[in-house]
Amino acid sequence: MIFTLAWRYWRGRGLRSLLTALAVVCGVMLTFGLNGVTPTLTKAFEKNMLNASGKTDLSVAEKSGQTFPASVADELAAIPGIAAVSPYLQQPAPLPKRPVSDPSVNALAQVTVVGIVPDKAARVRDYTVSAGRMITAGDAAAMVANSDVAGQLGLTLGDTLELPAAAGVVKFRLVGILSGTTMPGEEQVVVSLSAAQQLFGAGARINAIDATFSDGTDRAQVEQLVKARLSDKYTIGGLTSNSSLLSSMEMASTAFMMFGLFAMATAAFIILNSFRMLVAERRRDVGMLRAIGMKRRTVVGMFLVESLFQGVVGTGLGLLAGWGMASGIFVLMAPITKDLMHIDLGGPIFTPETWAVSIILGVGVTILAAVLPARAAGKVTPMEAMRPQVGEKYTKDMRRRGWIGLGILVVSLFGLFSRDSGLVGLASVLVLVAIALAVPAVVIPVADVAIKPLQAVFGREGPIARSNIQRNPGRSGVTVTAVMLGMAAIVGMITVINSIFTGYLAYLDKSMSSDYLVIPSSIVLSQGNVAAGPGLARQLGETPGIAAVSTLRVGQGQVGGLDVQVIGIDPAKYLDVASLEWNTGSSDNAVRQLASGRWVIANGIYASSNALTPGQAIVLDTPNGLRTYYLAGIGNDYLNAKLATLYTSQENLQRDFNVADDLLVMANRAANADPDTVTARVQRVVAGYPAFNLYEPDTWKAEQSAIFDMSMIMFYVLIAALAVPSLLALINTLSISVLARTREIGMLRAVGATRRQVKRMVLAESLLLSLIGTVVGAAAGVILGYALVLALSAIGWEMPYSFPTAGIVTATVVGIAFGMIASSGPAKSASRLNVVDALHHE
Amino acid sequence: MSEVIVQTKSLTKVYGAGAAQVTALGGVDLSVYAGTFVAVMGPSGCGKSTLLNLLGGLDTPTSGDVVIAGDSLADLSDDKVTELRRRRIGFVFQFFNLIPVLTATENAALPLRLDGDPQASEKAREWLTRVGLGDRLDNRPDQLSGGQQQRVAVARALSTDPALILADEPTGNLDSKSATEIAQLLAQVSTKWGRTVLMVTHDPRIAAFAHRLVLMRDGQIVDDMPLDGSSTAPRAALEKAGLV
Repeated sequence: MIFTLAWRYWRGRGLRSLLTALAVVCGVMLTFGLNGVTPTLTKAFEKNMLNASGKTDLSVAEKSGQTFPASVADELAAIPGIAAVSPYLQQPAPLPKRPVSDPSVNALAQVTVVGIVPDKAARVRDYTVSAGRMITAGDAAAMVANSDVAGQLGLTLGDTLELPAAAGVVKFRLVGILSGTTMPGEEQVVVSLSAAQQLFGAGARINAIDATFSDGTDRAQVEQLVKARLSDKYTIGGLTSNSSLLSSMEMASTAFMMFGLFAMATAAFIILNSFRMLVAERRRDVGMLRAIGMKRRTVVGMFLVESLFQGVVGTGLGLLAGWGMASGIFVLMAPITKDLMHIDLGGPIFTPETWAVSIILGVGVTILAAVLPARAAGKVTPMEAMRPQVGEKYTKDMRRRGWIGLGILVVSLFGLFSRDSGLVGLASVLVLVAIALAVPAVVIPVADVAIKPLQAVFGREGPIARSNIQRNPGRSGVTVTAVMLGMAAIVGMITVINSIFTGYLAYLDKSMSSDYLVIPSSIVLSQGNVAAGPGLARQLGETPGIAAVSTLRVGQGQVGGLDVQVIGIDPAKYLDVASLEWNTGSSDNAVRQLASGRWVIANGIYASSNALTPGQAIVLDTPNGLRTYYLAGIGNDYLNAKLATLYTSQENLQRDFNVADDLLVMANRAANADPDTVTARVQRVVAGYPAFNLYEPDTWKAEQSAIFDMSMIMFYVLIAALAVPSLLALINTLSISVLARTREIGMLRAVGATRRQVKRMVLAESLLLSLIGTVVGAAAGVILGYALVLALSAIGWEMPYSFPTAGIVTATVVGIAFGMIASSGPAKSASRLNVVDALHHE
Repeated sequence: MSEVIVQTKSLTKVYGAGAAQVTALGGVDLSVYAGTFVAVMGPSGCGKSTLLNLLGGLDTPTSGDVVIAGDSLADLSDDKVTELRRRRIGFVFQFFNLIPVLTATENAALPLRLDGDPQASEKAREWLTRVGLGDRLDNRPDQLSGGQQQRVAVARALSTDPALILADEPTGNLDSKSATEIAQLLAQVSTKWGRTVLMVTHDPRIAAFAHRLVLMRDGQIVDDMPLDGSSTAPRAALEKAGLV
């Protein structure tokens, strides 16, 4: 029975049910959609990184590098947690000299032939064909290659390449060009496994297997299973689970979850408001149901079941909208990642956890928000059935709640400015709770003040609108809170985003201040980038007109079992072309100190998370064993601000990490050199290193700004999604307010109020509510934004605080616009009320 | 002598405290026998609605007791009173109080459904047909006239086969023709279907359909007399008691 009643009531509310459901839709959309983005990005970045570095989740090879039976791949595939395996045979093949005039055609002395099973390999690595076709399993004399390799081989589609076979020579025809770039020394051509086995006389054997894990697999556990299954003559390699990339993605996932939670909190207020009104509207129905024998708990259950319908429909639509949003984000991001980061994104991936969290959050929050109104409904006495319909009843002790709110606000301010990220997070939530508690208590005096700016426009209707707000401070308070949450989100987010971007641009100016930057295509991620031998820096240094050259090299180490990237710089030259943004207490002296032994500079995030102070010893796990380093200072550069990073001298990096290749080369022109001439010379040098791009500061900064701008679009979409629930809250409250005052509006019309005046009265009420919400929200947003910037600085990500003037202006405009939009429907229906009907309305 | 369905003993209800204290009901003793149709009349504020609320267990008395079909309401918990209302008492309200999103059948079946009766729909349809709405079973309240809505409310009140029907101004929101039809229906409920009906009304013409008239003033019963079907008797009684 209660299901039928709840369902009919829910359906009967029509548009209002839908409006309330929209609040849930926003929350679920953000939670589901954003969390559908992260796994795909992780996967895409991982794939890119793997492609670049030649690693997969897991790789198996024979210890001495010998071939082994292909059946080992089947054994591997049977292990739980392994999603796909790709057996292959890979061997270098010398290239015969070809009699052509262009010397660049013979630039390669050898090429690595990789024999794959195409359908299996495609599940493990990215083999996107940009021209022609992919090889098939049966292709005996076909091959594909990256365009740069094809270029170096002087081949175009349809051309053949002769490779020395175990007996004689085999001709392979180039049937397809793969997208992607190649690392120097890693030039490959891809053929079918059977063709490779024939070429090298390997029979049915292979010499490596790549494998990927199923989503959500415990890497360490699967590796253990693989080790247990295969004999110890095999080596097992792969990604480490705590790579900084994966932890960055986890952070993004957490941040996205916070967005969703914020939106759901706003939704909760809207649902609370809606259900309070429902209870008020249905007092007589409930009274009758109680009179004819419905128990209190059944009444409560009926409202909760109705909220369940609300939650299920809202969540369902939210999941759909989330999918749409995630797909939209990919459509927006795909060109950026493709052009600037050389990563191909797929579609959104929704993990079982994302489904579960979104559904539980959507349905759960809706039901929780309805609990209080449902309990109030349970308290309706049967005598309500005997009375004419009355308006809402608010008997809450608002003053007491106001004082509690004020108390929480004061306590949470200490947390906000504690500079402890955990405390700031908790205090931020508490501030919003405190304001929500205090708003109903202050809405009466605040409305008295807030009406003043509106008085000029709404002379006669203003005071009526004010009294409408003041007579029901509970309902007005909930609306103001919902608007406040949206506006606080706008202002707070814009503060943090602006501060981050201002900080980044400062880093960019300082640490990328050289005249020329020579950077691998996918520099955004430190791991898996192509490195250049010493030739590039040397050639640049020898280029006439170049005054100074400095390079960055990257190694990987561990401290306490966790990954850290170790960047090697040349202490003598680094400061000539670049600089670090120093944290308090550190200076350029730290760079010079790197030359005097095992010293490192930590970046802010790493120093903060490990509570490092200058002079402290750090035991680094290097490829050559444990080495003790000492901390010379704490500083940040643009590229590595977010990754756990240590800087040391290139000498240390070579000695302890065996890294002597340059990842990034920076060069400055001589003071009197002609820029155009020098640039042309540098271009010629860099042309010999196809994996690298040459940037001048302006183009580099322009490219980075383009990435920022595109990111900003995404942030604006997110901010809009956070603000929409505020609009819904306003619409909801005004509709309810008009409905509750139908008889009163009829009376006003009867005594001579014009339709226009009634309309203006509703508009004034709407504007007043949104104005109060915006002012409170902007104040809360400024506080939250400032506290978040402090918290980010406290974890080592130092950034200048940027006052959110734009955010406040945006919030005010949005607030006023929302006030006007929200009032249009209810104002129209109020002004169109039939006077006689309205006077008889119960 | 038939069974006593309703009995009140020194039933008192006081609202407010101190200077604002109002005695709505001042020690009322009333007995109603099974199968009778009682009309309660009196000026506004005389306590008739309060009496009805107390009889129905919708409100609790300040002192005194109400006994319905042998059960003293004072001895029952809130849940037990709720059950008693569901099974032994039917209500008919001035404003019909039908659930707007349910059909006539669903509205009439409500108390039975609350009681988990598997025959709820069949019984509801049967009662709706008996009250003359056999062709309106699947209509929602907004598709019915006021009189028809009140018939649905009567069918709902009768659906659980209660001993007592309490009607609070059941014709107060109806036109004259519909009001007469509802009054006739309530009389039929008593005479034909053997239920006890206690009706509060302002309208002497409607009260004339009852078997017994109780007049109240200032929280007290001032007259209690049998009616013989004469349409003028209630008005005469009111005049005699000085209530008009």
